Amino acid sequence: MKRHIGSLAILVVLCMLLAACSGNTAGPTVEPTDEPIVTPPAELAAQSDEVVDADLTCTITLGNWPADTAPAAELALFEGYKATMAKQYPNVTLVPSYYSYTLSNYISAAKGGTAPSIFQPPFTDPQLLISQGLAGDVTDALAEFGVLEKFSPAFIELLGDENGRIYGLPREGYVLGMHININLFEEAGLMTEDGLPMYPTTLQELAEYGQIIKQKTGKAGLVFPASETYGGWLYTNIAWNFGAVGENALEVQQEDGRWVCNFTSDAAVAAMEYIKSLRWEYDILNADATTTDWAGAHSALGTGEAAMNFAADDSVDQPTAGKGLPVDKFALVPFPAGPAGAYALTGGTCYMFAPNLTRDQAVALMGYLKIIGKLPFLDDDIVAGMRADYAAKRERGAPVLPPITAWNDEAYNAKKLEIVNEYSNVDMRLYNDFFDSLTDGTISLKGEEPVFAQQLYRELTSIVQRVITREDADVYKGLEQAQQSFQEYLDDEINK
Amino acid sequence: MAKEKNTLPRTGVIREYDIHTPGVKAGLVVIYAICIVMVIVSLFPILWVLLAGFKDLKEYMSSTAILPQSFDFTGYVKTWTQLDIVKNYLNSLYVAAGSVVCALVFNGLLAYGLSILKPKGHKIIHKLVMFSLLMPATISIVPLFMNIQRLGLGGFFTPLWLQCGASAVYVVLFMQFFESIPYSIIEASRIDGCSPLQTFFRIVLPLSKPICVVIAIFAINAAWSDFLLPYLVLGNGPWQTVMVRLFVFSTQQTINYDALMRSVVFSMIPPIILFVVFQKKLTQNIVTAGIKG
Amino acid sequence: MKRPARRRMPGKGKETLIAWLIMLPGIVLFAFFLWEPLLESMRMSLYHTKNVELLEFVGFDNFISVFNKADFIQALINTFSYTFWSLLIGFLLPIFIAFVIGETARSKGFFRTAAYLPNILPGLAVIILWTAFFSAEKSGVVNILLSKLGIAPKAYLSQAGYVIPIIVLVATWKGAGATALIYMASMAGINPELYEAAALDGAGIFKRVRHIMLPAIFKLGSTLLILQIISIFQIMYEPMVLTRGGPDNASLSLMLLMWRYAFGGSMDFGKASAVAVIITVILLAFTALYSVVNRRKTDWE
Repeated sequence: MKRHIGSLAILVVLCMLLAACSGNTAGPTVEPTDEPIVTPPAELAAQSDEVVDADLTCTITLGNWPADTAPAAELALFEGYKATMAKQYPNVTLVPSYYSYTLSNYISAAKGGTAPSIFQPPFTDPQLLISQGLAGDVTDALAEFGVLEKFSPAFIELLGDENGRIYGLPREGYVLGMHININLFEEAGLMTEDGLPMYPTTLQELAEYGQIIKQKTGKAGLVFPASETYGGWLYTNIAWNFGAVGENALEVQQEDGRWVCNFTSDAAVAAMEYIKSLRWEYDILNADATTTDWAGAHSALGTGEAAMNFAADDSVDQPTAGKGLPVDKFALVPFPAGPAGAYALTGGTCYMFAPNLTRDQAVALMGYLKIIGKLPFLDDDIVAGMRADYAAKRERGAPVLPPITAWNDEAYNAKKLEIVNEYSNVDMRLYNDFFDSLTDGTISLKGEEPVFAQQLYRELTSIVQRVITREDADVYKGLEQAQQSFQEYLDDEINK
Repeated sequence: MAKEKNTLPRTGVIREYDIHTPGVKAGLVVIYAICIVMVIVSLFPILWVLLAGFKDLKEYMSSTAILPQSFDFTGYVKTWTQLDIVKNYLNSLYVAAGSVVCALVFNGLLAYGLSILKPKGHKIIHKLVMFSLLMPATISIVPLFMNIQRLGLGGFFTPLWLQCGASAVYVVLFMQFFESIPYSIIEASRIDGCSPLQTFFRIVLPLSKPICVVIAIFAINAAWSDFLLPYLVLGNGPWQTVMVRLFVFSTQQTINYDALMRSVVFSMIPPIILFVVFQKKLTQNIVTAGIKG
Repeated sequence: MKRPARRRMPGKGKETLIAWLIMLPGIVLFAFFLWEPLLESMRMSLYHTKNVELLEFVGFDNFISVFNKADFIQALINTFSYTFWSLLIGFLLPIFIAFVIGETARSKGFFRTAAYLPNILPGLAVIILWTAFFSAEKSGVVNILLSKLGIAPKAYLSQAGYVIPIIVLVATWKGAGATALIYMASMAGINPELYEAAALDGAGIFKRVRHIMLPAIFKLGSTLLILQIISIFQIMYEPMVLTRGGPDNASLSLMLLMWRYAFGGSMDFGKASAVAVIITVILLAFTALYSVVNRRKTDWE
């Protein structure tokens, strides 16, 4: 069942993209205002003050509460949501938590009884959490709010169990592309006559342009986060573009149901050779790739230490609002094509809930999701919530972009796009190629490798680290070793 | 100069009468130079992180200067409030306070039993404690974590407090000290009608103040610094200590390095203050007892 | 150091019971936090596990599976590398520091304090601090300082040959001062008359070091040496934070491998326990060695 989920999820994401992008027009460029606002966005005032349920008494802990480095505008927005919540559900206690999900931290939190009531795992994890009994059942609350019928079958499969119980809601999808620091492209003279960055469309161009940038500016052409599992994650996308798909896929299920991995196909080897050449032939990578993680990659791009970064549309606020790159110096472009294809990794995140959720907590959480505009309805609260969200984005200097929404509801998606255009603060020419590529067929969307992706990434990251730290590393040998090791893992785990 | 040298006795291999040869004089200069280098190596990283905290992200990432462009405290203030560091300080304080009590009472009682009461069969326990001295606690963190979960102790300080009550190092330190207490004092208290437990709290513990101070400081320091078990136990709950907060913060994908450096500074300040206050007691006691933290 | 033999408290049965009751809380805690988990990990290593449950008895399957993985071999090799570097840097440096500080007269207290200071800093903060120090990006202080000496910048944390010495160096930075203090205590305990007598016999400074000081700290040194080797097997959070075990597992330690199995995403507590048992067996061997050395030490006395 697992491998169907990936493809179904892609299908759904693609449908939504079509819906979302069909009405896409370049919005007006709006200058971000300078004054940081510390009061909740005015848009929130439109949310209803009426008490929805005075009897509902419970405490809910909200993961992903903005803190730490969050800009004031974002914090104010969530304070505003909290205020609305207090009015509509006066007896529900909200406990903000800075929790951000990773599989390992969630498992220890759930075991220790400190899991937040609501959190945001990626599409790769719900089935694991459900099967381990580490997710809360919200089927009844979903039905009560009328959301259940808007679930597309793909998501019922993704977020439900075999008894038809549902444990989560889709939140947002993402597609991997490339972040661009335009300042460095300007410095390197890589600009078109229209004043747009001349970005690489193929992996070969990426190496060449990166070299130009490195020579002209002294900064890294590409920041390549290769620590832990990130290196392998990026490698898979590059490998697809070198042809490691279909028969040559990194993971294949044989007819007898046995899973085998294949890292030694010509395509897989060529992709690894390519990464090696980025370091030793073109020398365009950042200096400390093997210890760089997401935060490091976004920091490097945002502060102008690197010109390009493989990253998705859902993290555009990191280099901009998070690390200080002005939105007009930032662009999002498609993942470069390889010699054998142009794929882009797609996935998403969902909302899931702590195990042992009470009925009251589930209802309160749905009420909360409604207020923050994440339920697929078009009543005033939700529209106001969405507006406030985009207003806050604009205020903190994050690009307001057409979302890749996860709901199969045309009117809802159209309304959302309308609001996006209203609050747009970017020159859409810097983004259009990315969004167009999703619909015009120049890029094929592809989900993560179907089984034990994290372990696969870990094995491959080791080899990525090896080839970018040792000039004499034998690519084939390394991949052969990783293949053997991962095959043993597969045999241990599912080929029994 | 010559006078000063005479006032401070030389306690090392080089004696006063050696000083007069030029070779030894040069050697002493080298020794002082090495000491000064050592002081710089010890202190520079701490000073550096303090200075780095004044930089903003852009400056931190791009500047190769050690000194920040300006000594602007807004960054520190911002990180202080954003991390809600006061709350974490308080949590760490609770952990430290409970740990000190547990470390003194439970280890003290065990050591009292092993070194003074010595009931029949105590040698087995003594051997087990000595064995534990050599087995790192981290090694069984997985089953320990599972035990804590099974008993439903996760999410609060209790396991962290109690863990300090099972430290082989502290037990051995206590035992060494208790054995130096004259037996006549203990016997006198017995004749006065004190029960063994009363003897411990009224006689033994007050007499052991020096070792209690050392163990208390060690326990505070350990409680403050530890983050693996606290991370597994407290997770992302409301009781995060400073180090758990720092650990979680440092692994977040949205982290800014300037803020990370500032939070490192915040986590170092309390131990440094503690050290400055108790510095003499600590270094002297360690020198006399010959023990390591 | 002979203490008068202590009489056991009179009163027999009841006294014994009370004494055991007094020790009981401590024993229970030791059992809960140290002894039972150690036994439990041995049991768990023989089971296939899911979450906190032991599913089925699989004999030595976990061990075989762990042994056959390339990362285990790598971690084992790394352990030898850690040992080598930590003996080279971590063992000798404290003795040297103790000697040097011991020979000063003025500002001795200050030097002692400065040397000890890093030891009280939280380990995690120290590692994060040094990660920033060794970073190969612009902000990396080590490269900035070395470039002033004309040495080209290097990505130290990205090179397999450098990571282990760096981790040992950082651990030494934190711990050497505290260890040096213990040696200083031992050195200060040497009777000055020995030096005087040797000097009268015409022994120079180096001879005095060689024939009086070093023999005096030899016993302490051998104890600390074994304790240090044991501590190498505890290395975990240093590579976890500094290099995440990389590049290409070049700094992976056995303990970190155990953590990865347990909390790195796969939740394989059975295999994690197998690694723990392997470490325990190695440590037991060293413990046996330690007690032999200890016995020899007391024999000399």
